[in-house]
Amino acid sequence: MWSVLRAGALSSSSSHITNQFRNLSSSSSIVARGFSSSAIDGDDSNTITKESEMLSLSEVQKILADVGADDVKVIPAPTRCEFTDYMVIATGRSPWHVRNISQALVWQVKQKQRGAKRMLLPTVVGEEGGKWIVVDSGPLIIHAVDEKARAYYNFEGLWNKNTSDTEEIPDFAKAFVKVRRKNNSKKRPQAQR
Amino acid sequence: MAASNSSSKLFRGGLSNNAFAGSRPSSELARLDFLSQQTRTFIQMRTNLKVVDNSGAKRVMCIQALKGDKGARLGDTIVASVKEAHMGGKVKKGDVCYAVVVRAAMQKGRCDGSEVKFDDNAVVLINKQGEPIGTRVFGPVPHELRRKKHLKILSLAEHIA
Repeated sequence: MWSVLRAGALSSSSSHITNQFRNLSSSSSIVARGFSSSAIDGDDSNTITKESEMLSLSEVQKILADVGADDVKVIPAPTRCEFTDYMVIATGRSPWHVRNISQALVWQVKQKQRGAKRMLLPTVVGEEGGKWIVVDSGPLIIHAVDEKARAYYNFEGLWNKNTSDTEEIPDFAKAFVKVRRKNNSKKRPQAQR
Repeated sequence: MAASNSSSKLFRGGLSNNAFAGSRPSSELARLDFLSQQTRTFIQMRTNLKVVDNSGAKRVMCIQALKGDKGARLGDTIVASVKEAHMGGKVKKGDVCYAVVVRAAMQKGRCDGSEVKFDDNAVVLINKQGEPIGTRVFGPVPHELRRKKHLKILSLAEHIA
C-alpha cells in the first residue's frame, strides 16, 4: 500500500543522488524528520521562550473570551502528532466575527512583538472566506469556524478519537491467547477444567 | 554427451559470470539498478490520481497543474475531473474541481537533504476557496503541506508522515 521511503535510507540509491544523501543513510528517519520540521516551522517550536514570543495558551483564551467567541475548546494534540502541541477551536457567529477572531489574535502577536527589529507573525489560512480560518503559530494552532462548518467537519470527533487511539488497546493480554473451539461432535464426556 | 558438455560449459560460464558480477564495483551495479528503475515524474494532464478523503470521489484525472510548467509536485494544487465516484457522495462523476496533491510517487527534497516519496499518487478535493470538500483525510500526509499553507488538510489528516 502506501509506504513512505526516505531516499537517504535506501541502500541502492540511484546515481543522481549525491554523496550527501549517502551520509544521511545511517541516521534514523526520526532525526531527519526532526530537522525538517524545525526548518519548516521557522523558529517557532524550538524552545519554550520562543513559544511564548508568539502566543501562549492562556493569552489565547483571554483574547477569545474578549472577542466573544463561542464554545472555545482546547484539545492537546496526541503524543504521536509531532507538528503541534495544542489545537484550539472557537466558533464565530458570522463571517465577520470569524475574521475578527483571527485578526484579534494576529493583533495580539503584533503587540507583543512591537519594537522588535523583525516580527514573526503567525500564518493565517482562509482569510477571504469567513468560514474556516486557521491561525498557525507553531505549537499552537487556532481554528476559527462558524457553526455550520463546525458541525460539518466535526473536529472534536476527529481529534478526540485520535487522542484515545494511542492510550488503550483493549484486552491486549488476551489478544495473543489461542482459544480452542469446543468440539461437541465427539460423544465422550468433556473433562471439566 | 556433447549436449551435457556444452550444458556444463554454459553452467560454468554462468557461474563465472556471477562471480564476475559479484566482484564488480557497486557503482556499476547501482547504475544498472538506475536503468532498470522507473524515474518518477510530475503530475500532469491525464494523470490518474486516487482520492483519499470522504468527499465521494474515488479516482480523478488531472486536467491542469496550476503551478509549474512541467507539472505538479507534492503539495501543489491541480484542476481535476472526477472519473469514478461513490453513490450519494458530495461530488459526482464528471465534476471539475480543484485538488491538492498529498502523496506523490516523485521524490520531494526536504531542507535537511532527505527526500520523501510515496507509493501512489493521491489527492484531496478542495473548492475554489481552498476548503476541503470532504471531512476526513485517510492515509499519511507529508509535512510539506504546512509550508504550502494547506493547514486545513493537515488538521483533518489521520497520520502525518
